[in-house]
Parts: sequence; C-alpha cells; structure tokens
Amino acid sequence: MTDKAQVVIIGGGATGTGILRDLALRGISAVLVEQGDLAHGTSSRFHGLLHSGGRYAVKDKEAARECIEENLILCRIAPSCIEPIGGLFVEMQGDDPEYTEKWVSACAEAGINAEETDVQEVLKSNPALSSNITRAFKVPDCAVDGFRILWGNVNSARKHGAKVITYSKVTKIHQENGSVTGVELLNKLTGEKKTIECEMVVNAAGAWAGEVAAMVGLEVNVIKDKGTLLAFNHRMMNKIVNRLRPPGDGDIFVPHGTITILGTTSQTVDSADANKPERQEVLDLLKIGKEMVPEIENFRLVRAFAGVRPLYQPGSSATGRSVSRGFALLDHQQMDGLNGFVSIVGGKFTTFRLMAERTADLVAEKLAVDAPCRTAQEPLTDPVPEELLKRGKKVFGIPGAKKAAERLGDDFARVIEEAEQNAEKRQVFCECEMVSRAEIDFVARDEDCHTLGDIRRKTRMGMGTCQGTFCGYRTLGALNKYEKFARSHREYLSVFLQKRWKGIRPVLWGQQLREAQLALGIYCSLFGMERMK
Amino acid sequence: MMNKKADVLVIGAGLSGLMAAAKAVEQGKKVLLVAKGMGALGLSSGCIDLWGYDIDQPDQVCSRPLQEIDKLIQVNPHHPYARVRDVLEESLDFFRKICAENGSPYLENEGGNWLLPTALGTMRPTYLVPASMAVKSLEEADKILVVGFKGLKDFYPDVLVANLQRNAELKPSCKLEPVLVEVGSEELKPAALAHRLERGEIIDKIVQQVKPLLSPGAVVLFPPVLGSSGGAGMAGRLADELGCPVYEVSNIPPALPGDRLQKTLLHHLKTRGVEVIIGSTVTTAHLEGNRCVKVTVRCLSGTMTISARVFVLATGSFLGGGLEADIEGIKESIFNLPVQIGAEEWSVQEFLDLKGQPFNKFGIAVNDHLQPVDESGQVLVKNLMVTGANLAGCNYPIEKCGNGVALATGYKAGKLVEVVHGE
Repeated sequence: MTDKAQVVIIGGGATGTGILRDLALRGISAVLVEQGDLAHGTSSRFHGLLHSGGRYAVKDKEAARECIEENLILCRIAPSCIEPIGGLFVEMQGDDPEYTEKWVSACAEAGINAEETDVQEVLKSNPALSSNITRAFKVPDCAVDGFRILWGNVNSARKHGAKVITYSKVTKIHQENGSVTGVELLNKLTGEKKTIECEMVVNAAGAWAGEVAAMVGLEVNVIKDKGTLLAFNHRMMNKIVNRLRPPGDGDIFVPHGTITILGTTSQTVDSADANKPERQEVLDLLKIGKEMVPEIENFRLVRAFAGVRPLYQPGSSATGRSVSRGFALLDHQQMDGLNGFVSIVGGKFTTFRLMAERTADLVAEKLAVDAPCRTAQEPLTDPVPEELLKRGKKVFGIPGAKKAAERLGDDFARVIEEAEQNAEKRQVFCECEMVSRAEIDFVARDEDCHTLGDIRRKTRMGMGTCQGTFCGYRTLGALNKYEKFARSHREYLSVFLQKRWKGIRPVLWGQQLREAQLALGIYCSLFGMERMK
Repeated sequence: MMNKKADVLVIGAGLSGLMAAAKAVEQGKKVLLVAKGMGALGLSSGCIDLWGYDIDQPDQVCSRPLQEIDKLIQVNPHHPYARVRDVLEESLDFFRKICAENGSPYLENEGGNWLLPTALGTMRPTYLVPASMAVKSLEEADKILVVGFKGLKDFYPDVLVANLQRNAELKPSCKLEPVLVEVGSEELKPAALAHRLERGEIIDKIVQQVKPLLSPGAVVLFPPVLGSSGGAGMAGRLADELGCPVYEVSNIPPALPGDRLQKTLLHHLKTRGVEVIIGSTVTTAHLEGNRCVKVTVRCLSGTMTISARVFVLATGSFLGGGLEADIEGIKESIFNLPVQIGAEEWSVQEFLDLKGQPFNKFGIAVNDHLQPVDESGQVLVKNLMVTGANLAGCNYPIEKCGNGVALATGYKAGKLVEVVHGE
C-alpha cells in the first residue's frame, strides 16, 4: 500500500501532534506516524505541570520567558485541558536566602509575576505543608492534562485533513539524490507494510529521535534522562508547590483533581524504553518530599511511573541551530546536506506549541508555502455548551458529567446521546474516574484504539485506586461486539494488568498491598486467569 | 469500662474464625466472636477450594486433592496443611454437616475436584460447592445458554461464551449462546436482583425470555444472583420452570455465594449461643508471662475488655487487616507476632506468575497446635491459636487452597481449645 503526503511526522507525543496541527492549519498535508499509542511516551509521563517559568528563571532566562509566554497562550486556547490553580515557590529553613533574592529578580526580568504571600496564610489553606517554610511566592503555574492537550491537537488536525497512523514503526526512510522521498512502515499489530511518499520528514520522536536520525545515517545526540514520579490518592494541597532552590529531585508537588503527583528523579539511561520505576527511587522521592510534607507517609500512594526526558546536547560534529537551551530545531539540509529531513529535539511539555511553530515555520519555508502559524490564536477545544452539560448530568450525574465533558470535549454530545438511548450504557465502569460504559464504548470504537491501555489513556479508566482490577474486566464486556478486538481476552487483560503492576510494585505496601491482594484474589482465586487460554 | 468474659474468644469473622467458633461451641465452651468487619469470606467464591493442580504438572487439574496434599506436605512441610492434615477429612465433614443442617448443602465430587465455569469463561477447580453452583457434565451439554441481565454490571454473557469456547472441553457440536434478559429496572445490583427473585416478581419474566431459546440437552448458566440465602432453592425453581439444569457461576465481588456462606455459618453460631460482635476492633492484647489474659476492644460505644481462657487469631492477611505493611516492614496488628517473610522479595515481576506473588505467603509461623512460634520453635503465646490467612506458607490464589486452609485450621483451633488451655 502506498500513501502520499507532503510531510511525514515521526512521533505521536505533544510535539509531534503539535506540529501536525500547525501544518494542517497552514493547509500542508501531513501524516503523523507513531510506533505505539499516542501519548504513550514522555508526554504522558510527567508532572502534568504547565510551568510559569519560575523553575528556570535563574538558570535559563530564555527558557523561562518561553514558558510564561506559552503558559498564557495555552490557558487561552485550551482552557478545558488546564486547571489554573496557581503555584507556590516556598523557601524553607536551611535554603539559601540569597538564591531567593536572585530568583525574585530573575522572575521579574523574565516577565513572571511572582508575588510574595503570607506564609501563615499558605499554611492555613494548605495544612499538609511543613511549618518550616520561611517565605512563599505565588506564580501562575497550572495543572495540565497532557492527554487532553494531545488529543486536542489530533482532533483539530484531523478536522483540517491531517492523518494519524498509530502502532506503526518506521522501518526505513527512503532517499533519492540527497533528498528524503518517503518512509516505510510496519504495522506492529497486523504485520502489514506500508509506504508513504513525501517531500519532508520531521523527526519529533523525542527520546527515540537519535534512533530515527540513525536510519538516515545521521547522529542526533539525545541524552535519555529518566524521571520517576509518584501518584498519591489525595489532593494534598490546593496549589502546585515548588521548592525555592536550584532545581533538584523530588521538589514539585502538582495536585490534579483528587490526586497529587510528586517528582521527579533524574538519571541517565541507555534506552528510551527504560521507564520502569524502582523502589529505591520511590524511597528517595518520599524522603525529599517529606521535607515539604512532613506526614507524607500517611498519604496513600497509588503508583509510581517514569518517563524518559529527551535532553538535547549538540554533538561534536553537529552545529545545530540552537533555538534556545530548552529545545533545538535541526535543519539537516544545512547541517548534513540531506534535503527534506528536520529534527526537533529537547524542550519540555510547556513549550510544545512553540517548538511546533518553529518547526512548521521551517517546513513551510522549505515547501514554499506562505501561510502563518495560527496555533496561538485558534482555540484547541471548544467549550462544552451549558445545555449539553445539563443533559449529561441527567444520565451521568453531576461529577460524572463534568469529568466526561472535560475528557470528551467535542465528542461529549455523541456519548450523551448513546447513554440517553440506552440506559445500560449509563453504568459506571470505572468508579474512581467516573467513566461510563457509554464513554468506554465510544472510545473503543475509535480507530486508534487497539488495547485496554489505549482506552485507559483516552478515558482514564483504571487510573484510580483499584488500578484496573474492576474496570479492566468490565471493559471486556464493552469490547466483545467489536470485530477489531479479535485477540483473546486473556491477552488484552493480562497485558493491561501487567502494565498497571509495573507501577504498583515499587509502592507495594499499605493500602496498595491490600488492593494487590484483592486483585490476585479476583484474577487467580476467582477466575484462574493465570492458566487461562 | 465494660468487661466481657468467655472461655474462647475468636477474633475475626472469616471462614476460619467462624469454623473455630462452631467447633469450640460444639464442645460446650462459652464462645465469643469479635470482628472489625465482615472479613474476606464475602469476597470469595463461596466454594471450598482444597488443592487445584498437580504439584508436578501445574497445568494439570488435580484429580485427588487429598492425596495431592499428602504429597505437598512431603515437599513443603511448612505449608499450613502440614499442621492440620490429621483433621482435614473430619473438618470437611463437620463443615458439610453444619451447612446441610442450615439448609445450604455443599456437594463433593466423589473425592475429586469440580471444574466449574467462571464469569470470565475460565474453568476453575474446587472441592466443595453449594448445590446451585455444582455444574455437572458440561462436556455433555448440547447447548449452553448464558443468561445475563440488562442493567446488571459485572456479568457479560458474551465474554463468558467467547472464553468458555477456548477454556472448556465441550462437545464439538455444543452450541453456546449469550442472552440478556430484561426484568424492568435500569441498574441492578446483585443483592437487589436476588430479593426480587425471591419475592417471585421476575421469575415469569425470566422464564418467558429464556425458555424459547432452550433445546434438548441444554444447560443454563446464570450470574451468582439466584437468591440471597444458601441452598439450591432459586436455581432449583428456575430449573423446574425451564425444564433443564440451571447453575450459577462464580464472579467478582460483590457476589452472593461468599456472602451466603458467611450468613449460613453466622446463623449456625447464633443458634448455638455464640455471641457475635461485628464492627469492633481488637486493639491490644494483654499478656501475663506467655499467656494472654484479655484484649482491649474499640467499639462504637467506646472501649471494652474481653477476658478469655483461649484466644483464636483469625484476622486474615493484608486484605482482611490481620497483617499491616508499611515502608519499613510488616506487622501483625494485635499481638505483634513476628511475621514470616523469608529472604524473598515481596513481589515478582510477572503479575500472574505461576509461582504466585510472595507476599501472599507472608504470615505467622505455628506449631502443630497452631500456637505461634518463633524461629526456634518456641511458643510465643501459649493460649493463642492462629488460623486461616494469618498463617505463613500458603500461596492460596495460585494453589487454590484459601478456603480449604481456613476451614481446616479454624476447625482444628476449635477442636484444640481444651488442649491448648491445659498446656
């Protein structure tokens, strides 16, 4: 099979999908190719923090300025994906007061509104925090749902004609006379091969960018840096809390809805797939986190997870057009004489849109397309109409409808319709995240959904305290009528439970150990699944 | 502060606690049972698993569980079964007698395992089963009709059918058919459905929808919602109306068979004069030398103490709350008994590893009198016996022996109250 597009983007993270949207809005035909599910990599394995830039203010002013600018843009174009809860930077006893002063003036220079606030007030509204806090500053940090932003990109791009191909690995990048001419794909689920002819290839593979560049014989030096994070089953505080000191491990807490994320660690690893959290990392994080939250052991840990940050370091031979210390756009025509190949590396989630804009600018220039970037103005998601929310409340209840509306955005109307027509679909399949059968059913039909994990990423099913024990089984009940879920239930369920287990194992004590014993009671004692065919 | 006195205090209302109380009261003891909650029995299948698979061939369903347990004891003398092998048969007889007397007979399968379908469509080996679940000769059925209810969560006939085809040995010509019947209400909970069945409201509706789908040689499988109390009453009635065998399959909690078993045993204890206090937590044990004299109990109205001559610790594992784990380690909550962990990691990488997760084996080491012992075999508390999931050395989810170990150890503790008191 052969397809055609002007541009093939490799990598379905925030950056890749951001580029896809940007190109689509400029009228450039593009296909995004992803080896797994969208957002399976680093874009879903972070704090969920939309930086104000405060964290980088002292060390990297340019990155800080980019953060605050992008923060304001995203709050404007994607309000349904962002909780504008604000952040605090707290100085604690023993921290360097001079650094605080330096930080205050650095924020002012970068245009970050950092306003000192009364420590007693902070402690009153955030009683979990340590009384050893000496100074506190408010900054415009936000909590962001990385999944939603990413699917916002994809939905918007699709509306403008872009295509997405998941579970397909690029096996070859074709070249002719020093120019890229297309890519060859292998579908990891079906084994089918496919060729896409194109004029340009954008390497947005994040932690895998070095491997992609190697396919055309180029070297892109990406340092793979593993960061482990913890998810607590409590809203431990009402604002994002950063430690006011030079950035280090385990010094940011980000509350999201009813949970809190603490992270991260930092460790260089060999492989982009090295995202297994270790018990020792968990213990290290708890130890550091305890300084800010003294009772940290009393909060229930749901799981640990890890992502691999792609940090870019120009190699000795490469002379990259470094856009900033945060990210780099590499024009391989200029650098290596290969036409039509561009890499975008480094950066962070907060600046994904800017990275996409710069990349799309370069692509447009090379394709001689004269169309400006519109991603900073066009809303990413449309707000859910009040009338729809009312109908939603009738079938899903108030909290269920609100959560579903946030997750589904434009698709909320169709899910409500199904639930209105069929009472059975109002059943709550995932009680922790309030996901209805209608929503799971709807998402399962999505062309990008092939596993329970894909459904989990799109609905949050299985992300609560039971970690999929109940909703994993229930979801089978929704899948069976779809032909595309033709593999065995054992495979779907065991792969799903195994992935959940990877995050539970390093935090296996207290309530999560009880939960694990219940899960084994169900899947082994009751269902005998360990011997299932 | 209130102070209660008994000959025997059983702590825990799971299967082993209930069995201990039943056996102790049979010997004329004054028995008191106190429990924090309803325990993990209600979460179980309601069947008595004894031993599931051959030790040498872990994929082979074990045909003679009692003989296999003899073999087990040879290769693993630390398994709880090694402590109770002498009473295993009589404990099973005692259990069956109680259940039958209370209208919930449990059936055995001529000394072998039953192989019963689950809601997931797998086949599960187990030893004693309530009459409503005792599926006979599925391999001879010409048709298997799997009936679910519209609005009942957690039971999906098409999932059961899809997997039963892969997991059960059926006649090649056997037809499997899933069906969802409608009984009127939007969302149904198992307990509510059971009550509506018992009130006779929806039997006609079910029969009307199911009967046309039947053909000669058919077997009908239902979720475990056929009645709230034990016995084959409701399954039997549906079988009469439909003119073919009707069974319940095991399912995830909240499922009724475990609940029914607990109710049956609690009812039995009540008729024998055992005082049962649920919703009260034993917080501290008071020891004099190496004997326990009383425990402190936190209840709704404050605290009380209970003095007894013999104590039975049947508080379960992590799930039941008998063992508690934090980052530092694991402790037994009431007597602070040493928890045997061994040199092993708490868990292994594969969630569904055929060797099981090590943490399920953690627990208290005991001697042949079920008294807790230290590493050198020294008895730690002389008038205390430990039973069920509190015990070390058994990986019940994989071995399929949870309720079997609970039943036999509980029975033995009840039987030994006099012996242990005299020591």
